[in-house]
Amino acid sequence: MGNSLRLLALVALTSVVATEGAALPAVALAEAGAQDARVIEIAAERFSFTPSEIRVKAGERLEIRLESDDTAHGFHIVGTDVDIELPKRGRGPATVTFQPKAGRYTFECSRVCGAGHEFMRGVIIATE
Amino acid sequence: MIASSTVENYLKAIYAGMAALEAGQRLLPMGQLATAVGVTSGTATTMVKALAESGLVEYEPYAGVALTAAGQKLAALVLRRHRLIELFLVRVMGYSWDEVHDEAELLEHAVTDRLIDRMDEMLGRPETDPHGDPIPNAEGLVKPQEAQTLLSCPLETTVTVTRVIDQDKEFLRFIEQHHLKPGEAIEVEARDAAADSVRVRGKNDQRITIGTRAASKLLVHVAHALLLCLLAMPALAQTDTQKAQPPRTNLSGYMDFHFNKPEFQDGRLDFHRFVLLVTHTFSPRIRFVGELELEHAFVEGLEEAGELELEQAYVDFLLSRSFNVRAGMMLMPIGIINERHEPPTYYGVERPFIDTVIVPSTWFETGAGVHGEIGRGWRYRAYVTAPLNAAEFDAEEGVREGRQKGSEANAGRPAVTGRVEYVGYRGLTLGASGWSGKSGFEFRPRFDVPVSLAEADARYSRRGLELRAQFAQIWIDNADLLNDALALRVGVNPNIGSALRGVSLEAGHRFLSRPRFGEVGAFVRYENFDTQYRMPTGYVPLLEFDRDAWVVGANYWPDPDIAVKVDYSIVGNQSSVISAPNSFNVGLGWWF
Repeated sequence: MGNSLRLLALVALTSVVATEGAALPAVALAEAGAQDARVIEIAAERFSFTPSEIRVKAGERLEIRLESDDTAHGFHIVGTDVDIELPKRGRGPATVTFQPKAGRYTFECSRVCGAGHEFMRGVIIATE
Repeated sequence: MIASSTVENYLKAIYAGMAALEAGQRLLPMGQLATAVGVTSGTATTMVKALAESGLVEYEPYAGVALTAAGQKLAALVLRRHRLIELFLVRVMGYSWDEVHDEAELLEHAVTDRLIDRMDEMLGRPETDPHGDPIPNAEGLVKPQEAQTLLSCPLETTVTVTRVIDQDKEFLRFIEQHHLKPGEAIEVEARDAAADSVRVRGKNDQRITIGTRAASKLLVHVAHALLLCLLAMPALAQTDTQKAQPPRTNLSGYMDFHFNKPEFQDGRLDFHRFVLLVTHTFSPRIRFVGELELEHAFVEGLEEAGELELEQAYVDFLLSRSFNVRAGMMLMPIGIINERHEPPTYYGVERPFIDTVIVPSTWFETGAGVHGEIGRGWRYRAYVTAPLNAAEFDAEEGVREGRQKGSEANAGRPAVTGRVEYVGYRGLTLGASGWSGKSGFEFRPRFDVPVSLAEADARYSRRGLELRAQFAQIWIDNADLLNDALALRVGVNPNIGSALRGVSLEAGHRFLSRPRFGEVGAFVRYENFDTQYRMPTGYVPLLEFDRDAWVVGANYWPDPDIAVKVDYSIVGNQSSVISAPNSFNVGLGWWF
């Protein structure tokens, strides 16, 4: 990233900081890929994700919010760098952004959560 | 006092100074604080007195200063802001890790909690910043870190760099240049006390010798040292030079121990279960899962003195979402508890009676099968396994002792089992299970003892409410022949029923939930379980085995993975002669 863009991002961030309660800086959000994202909420509990089948449009920016109803789980989209840990129950959601190309993306729990951990899988189906 | 940037910097400096104090030392000397903040001792003392009046620090003249709980929380929240900003600048804005500290020093005093929480969420609730420093949570709490350095970690053992505690730019660049950043797998080959040096082998077998001062600033984590001894080395060796790969071999487990006080009997303390769960990923599509259980803490040869059991040991071949194959030692896919039995997941010190007396949990056998998800939330499992051994059935516990447990199990006529379940609605699980097999293989002349089981269950868990219902029935055909054969063998007719049935209903609710305190829930369960539900022609049921139970109690979860349990179990039966004892039970169970 160029220095000028980096500086712009920092200025945007600090200007928002100065006005408490204002909206988030557009530059920062754009960098994170979360602007105009479609929010997908997924609940995790031994040993399932709900929903476990998610249909989206290819190229659509997804902001996936995951919340555990029990222990810490992982959320890994197989074949991608997306792999985050979900905090335990009551400790808030974890969020990750993902912009799939057309195809099927298996996701799975990547943190061993119990005897049935291997059942904890799902799929994102991205179509044109 | 409104926390100005000066106040926050003092609190932060005291926080850092206190963390570096020697064991037994409680107060940070004023001289050290003044040096850290970059002012004279007199200036520091003036500020500390003001902080003390605000209740943020304790100040003892000529001795030093310490944070109060309020000051500690405020300092931790400043650090939270600082570290999240650093991570945000690196991950989102493309800063390098050696240039974010100064930016964060400025921004940490200006950002709002709302913005910090949003950053935290966007970053996926990270636990550490780019330097590996732990990020306090919104309550100001920090997850404890291991504190081995390159000076204290074991030699010639793969360790992972977790934290760099010096944020000097030149030092950070040096660390990056030599691939010693957090996440890198390295090995200390030798330490030379005379030369004050440490030789490190890093990425691509690159070797570097660094001074002991630099080595003391690198904290490391010894990855699963126990596992390295116990398990396959090659898989872990592959990860030596791979950055940010999830562990391929994982150790987790659960344990629980109980105090049981049956009526009219002495209480018993029993370390009921010590279970280690080992998983290994050969590839994204081939996984191993193993579960080794020590029951009752001690193994002497008879079950009453403890059991060492291999409850799971299978390889999963993950072929597609709808069709996967597994083989080895598997949990039978029946009921709620058999496949989902980690102690914090259920109420009650002991497992429900229906899941021990009717469904013989933990029920595991060797075999092979398929599983998958066939639609939105619809899942199935179907296995072929070794059957139950009818020669071990009895009147009181039904088929429980008939489990062959994969120990040189007779598989002349394999059994089949399966389950269909729906998990498509948050918090709801609906399931139906079945098992069918011929269990008379041990008798000569051989005769069939067909056994079949049907089970249905429902579980709803949402916003603290937990509802469960379960029904199970077992049919034992030719139970009359079985009783005759066993009577000839042991001299006593065992009076085994031709049908066993159980029903269980439970309601619980977590009614108290506080971030620092934990959660409290209470429950009530009713069960009817009868191992003499139907008898073969000519047999009379033993009424003491037609039982029901009311169990009431509470769980306290200081952490979602730890449960302190207490309950009172009122057990009755239909016999007018033999009574079943009530019991008071206390337990502690955990998962990690």
